[in-house]
Amino acid sequence: MANPRALDKRRKSIRNIRKITRTMELIATARFKKAMDRASAATAYTRRITQLVSDLTRTGLEVSHPLLEKRDEVKNATLLLLTANRGLCGGFNGNLIRAGLQRYKELKQEVPALRLEIAGKRGIAGFKFRGFQPEEAYTHFEDKPTFDEVDALATRYLHEYEAGQLDRLDVVYMKFQSIARQHVAVETLLPLGSLGAEGRPAEETAPQSQYEFLPSPESILEEVVPTSFKVRLFKCFLDSAVSEQIARMVAMKSATENAGELIKQLGMQYNRARQGRITSELMDVIGGVEALK
Amino acid sequence: MADHHPTSTLAADLRVVVVTPEQTVLETTTDFVALPLYDGELGVAPGHAPMIGRLGYGELRIGHEPNVQRYYIDGGFVQVSDNVVSVLSNRAIPAARLDATAIEASLQAAVAQPAAGEDQMARRDRAVAQSRAQLQVARGSK
Repeated sequence: MANPRALDKRRKSIRNIRKITRTMELIATARFKKAMDRASAATAYTRRITQLVSDLTRTGLEVSHPLLEKRDEVKNATLLLLTANRGLCGGFNGNLIRAGLQRYKELKQEVPALRLEIAGKRGIAGFKFRGFQPEEAYTHFEDKPTFDEVDALATRYLHEYEAGQLDRLDVVYMKFQSIARQHVAVETLLPLGSLGAEGRPAEETAPQSQYEFLPSPESILEEVVPTSFKVRLFKCFLDSAVSEQIARMVAMKSATENAGELIKQLGMQYNRARQGRITSELMDVIGGVEALK
Repeated sequence: MADHHPTSTLAADLRVVVVTPEQTVLETTTDFVALPLYDGELGVAPGHAPMIGRLGYGELRIGHEPNVQRYYIDGGFVQVSDNVVSVLSNRAIPAARLDATAIEASLQAAVAQPAAGEDQMARRDRAVAQSRAQLQVARGSK
């Protein structure tokens, strides 16, 4: 029979762990709500930009911009991987690293001059362990990425793209679909491909160009395209932050539940061991009495 | 809900929405807005024709003196239709929160920064223009 004292000690330590995981779950829940609010605020902006673009296309303007066109020859590419700074969030980082690594290897075969950029300590450590050193590593994106931080990054990419030092930008991140569903997504952000609003430009021809454009539709388009790139990159960061908190919430919830089960089991074992010990002591006493007769 | 002016007897008020990627900064009704367009200022009153414009760096003013709300706007777009003015900008900072001395320092730094090549020069010019516009807004609020 096991030692009841050792069992009790273990039970106590698991109880402490449960307290910690429960607290972490609550913290993750609070952070998730905040991150979610930020993400939905960003959606308001994206929606308006999209509306603006659809109004632009309704003028019959030819939507062409260097950022939208695919380049014939891709010489320089960048892979950006967004992971978390902290662990204890289930398969979040692991899945991202796996997908990122696979993408990295694929792209490396296509484009030899591939730069790897990783945000988040976990991703950096994961790649280092597998023998890859990122060209650029960011750890300052916490659970609240600000637009200014992302803007600096996006502006650098845009400059590189314009200067011809970058022909393609891929982002690997955890896309947020719903609270119950997030999945790893690999998206090509540069070239931008489409502005996401060219669906039906010629459906209603009556109110064609009800807008007056200042200074001109071309000039506005010139500004809209980089902006929508920046917003899309920002959205990636926000999605990643929200997904991280959800992953942590789920992981900590199941950890708490598991700890509860373990405590129950250990309690039962402890009680049995204690009862067994009492019984054997009683037997000793009874045996002694019998022997004296 | 901001200022209700005695003179605003027009049928419809103007709804102003200022949105940045991070948040909806402001949502209010008024009867006059002055916007910093790319090449000059534009005043919008109720009943303005539908319009899309490119914004520059400058001051957004909402309402009339003395109770006027002032913001620094960092580029972006404005869309006017059906008496709704939507301002989309990277940043919108209330004028009262701008710190003139800090901006002056960053302006000095931007001016002093050496720039070689076209894009670096463009970047510097942009930083200078931003700082100057911020300074103007900050000083105007006093």
